[in-house]
Amino acid sequence: MTPPGTESQTRKIILTGLWRDNPIFKQVLGICSTLAVTNLVLNTVVMCVALVFTVALSSASVSLLRSVTPRNIRMMVETLIIAFYVIIVDILLKAYWPEMSANLGPYVGLIITNCIVMGRCEAFGNSNPPARAFLDGAFSALGYSFILLIIATFREVLGMGTFAGLAVPFFSGPAWDKWIIMVMPPGAFFMLAVVIWVFRSIQIRLEAKTK
Amino acid sequence: MREKRWFPILYMFGVTAFFSSIIIAFATVTRGRVEANAELAFERAVLEIVPGLSGANLSNAEVHPRFADMVEEPTASSGGAYLVKKDGQVVAYALPFSGQGFWAPIGGILGIEPDQRTVTGIAFYEQNETPGLGAEITKPPFRSQFKGKVLASGGKPLGMKRPGGELDDSSVHAVTGATQTSTRLEGIINAALTEWQSKVAREGARS
Repeated sequence: MTPPGTESQTRKIILTGLWRDNPIFKQVLGICSTLAVTNLVLNTVVMCVALVFTVALSSASVSLLRSVTPRNIRMMVETLIIAFYVIIVDILLKAYWPEMSANLGPYVGLIITNCIVMGRCEAFGNSNPPARAFLDGAFSALGYSFILLIIATFREVLGMGTFAGLAVPFFSGPAWDKWIIMVMPPGAFFMLAVVIWVFRSIQIRLEAKTK
Repeated sequence: MREKRWFPILYMFGVTAFFSSIIIAFATVTRGRVEANAELAFERAVLEIVPGLSGANLSNAEVHPRFADMVEEPTASSGGAYLVKKDGQVVAYALPFSGQGFWAPIGGILGIEPDQRTVTGIAFYEQNETPGLGAEITKPPFRSQFKGKVLASGGKPLGMKRPGGELDDSSVHAVTGATQTSTRLEGIINAALTEWQSKVAREGARS
């Protein structure tokens, strides 16, 4: 019983989140965590999974409550819902994966302040049905995730010679002088700038072609 | 009802109560596991400061039996430090320290040799400092500095100097870019050490 036009709408949501309005290289949102957790691939993966979970579910929950929530307190309700899902993630990590919880430190808690989460709830969850809000949240977060993984891969391989803790041939060998700065905070700025530059160039070129 | 002025307040109370109760239920269910993890981290930290035993490489299942085997609860004469024994002989004092870090409490263990002056090592069981900056206190480059340091008898037992500064027998380099964490950690360690030294000295004088 899919109404006509739904398929193209789903496609549009997916494309917008992943590419057209990518949170990192287009909207430049959630940069704090991008800079902080991308020095190791494994930390980044866990952070991204946590973010996909949080954004998708909080946007869907905001959407579910959108007809009863009074307009003037909607931000408070959104913050509460986001905090709820983040605390759930935090408790899960503490109970079942304490090492990862220790690695990520305060950043799990800081997902609450990640602009992407509030941004999707406000911009989309508030005015769309739950299923669509869930989809939009998930794909925005995935758009964030794939850029983060690119950054993390370069940082870990160049800086430590490993990928998700596994030694990479050549880069872990003596021939490669490890770029320690890549795993330090400044390396994140360099990589982020390069990634934004590359992806925006591609995007501009593609848009020029379709015109 | 939705036009009433009190509706937003009631609504907020309702929503908060709903989500909070789920979290409370969830936290209660997982509390046992979280506590077990914290205890494991503590026991591992104690074993990590034992000379000649690489506590960090023990598997989770090995930690507790080894701890039960080697470590004795603090006694009056140990000044609040755990006693690590091998073949009935004290091989190290494991002095727990804890206090407020930059973000959250820092808790750790300082190992001291039976001579009560030389440091065997340092390990942390709890911290939530900034990854890459303050959290570097848990990494080998920082921790390995402590081994072999000698506690100063007057003033601060252990000092932290700015990175690159000149060191003596009882000081280590602070973590670059983490002044707050380093300063607070220095305070926490020294508070614990001063208290321990005075307790041990008192006990020593009595016996």
